[in-house]
Amino acid sequence: MVSGKVKVTNTKGIHLRLASELVKAASKFRSNIMISRDKEEINAKSILGVASLGAEFGTELTLKIEGEDERDALNVLMRLFEDNFSRGEDS
Amino acid sequence: MSNEYSVQQFFEDNAEEFKLEAMTESLESRIPITGPDVHRPAFALTGFMENYLHERVQILGETEILYLRTLDPAEQEKAVARLFSRPLCCIIISKGLDLPPHLLPLAMKHGVPVLRTSMQTTEFIHALTESLDLYFAPTTMLHGSLVDVYGVGLLITGRSAIGKSEIALDLVERGHRLVADDVVEIVRKGKIIIGRGREHLRHFMEIRGIGIINVMDIFGIRAARIQKRIEVVVRLEEWDPSKDWDRHGLDEHTTDVLGVDVRQLVIPIFPGKNITVIAEVIALNHMLKVYGIDAAKRLDQQLIDIQESDKKTRKYLRYDVE
Repeated sequence: MVSGKVKVTNTKGIHLRLASELVKAASKFRSNIMISRDKEEINAKSILGVASLGAEFGTELTLKIEGEDERDALNVLMRLFEDNFSRGEDS
Repeated sequence: MSNEYSVQQFFEDNAEEFKLEAMTESLESRIPITGPDVHRPAFALTGFMENYLHERVQILGETEILYLRTLDPAEQEKAVARLFSRPLCCIIISKGLDLPPHLLPLAMKHGVPVLRTSMQTTEFIHALTESLDLYFAPTTMLHGSLVDVYGVGLLITGRSAIGKSEIALDLVERGHRLVADDVVEIVRKGKIIIGRGREHLRHFMEIRGIGIINVMDIFGIRAARIQKRIEVVVRLEEWDPSKDWDRHGLDEHTTDVLGVDVRQLVIPIFPGKNITVIAEVIALNHMLKVYGIDAAKRLDQQLIDIQESDKKTRKYLRYDVE
């Protein structure tokens, strides 16, 4: 199991489009990927689940990944958050 | 799950409903409320300190107050001081009774908040326990779809993209009711497991290829439910010929949800298989079992009975050669 902390860098928070990109990226891996905010833990492959976290700009989230490709998954997902899903500042 | 409830927070959440007033200026307690049970410390007042459940919310009702009034002032102070010989989270006076004279100074000295309700003691204890029960109830979140099928709460689970939402949608289309899709919030009340949708996700669904839909908008109020007791977990797995699938259903299989054994069926799926009908049959068969009718057991018993009667006939005919 690997884990890492990420911060929401999008100024609009995690909206539906962003949630969908996160879920798509997560679904490429076989590992079980959980994302949590405080005590709430959600399956990162579920778009409604991710959206329901209601994570606004600056929220800290924790990724917990378990499976054969956990390292790759963590790298890819952390990078996605770091460069705001390859988006500009306000999108 | 919450393990601690600060008295301050408890007061803010419930002051109106329980008609509470704060008697001490500060509601900061040294220890928080840690469980749903309450205690009436009548015996502790008399000096019998065994089984004084001091960590619980302490309720002073008419019995306790009337007893204190029978004592002379010095004895009364001693009796009240006994309450504070152990750490307390808070004291609540019921029925709007007058506080014993020594209570407040001692409470402030020991950092114990004192509240008072105008509700009747028994009525208040029932309401309080119910509210604390809910606060301390174990909760979790599960990935799956919860549908009320003929009144039976079926939680459909399985790996991502196996088709849980599609089955839930199919069930809704056949007149059953969706409780939650994808993320199910679970709370345990006693031995009962209740599932509901996340508040701002209620009745939204994601269907691959379509995107987000809202079941209540499309199918109307009859297709939606806010919460439902979970009675059966239907676990979907890809058909695997090497796996040992249940063929008779004589044995009960369960899965653990928050410490409660919930009936679980593992259903193999493959393209073109109609899981919706199977889900309906699971619900109906579950209801029959609740009524004491079990098809697998009945057939098993019939087979045993037939063999018994065959044996008797054979025995009768054994030397019957004409």
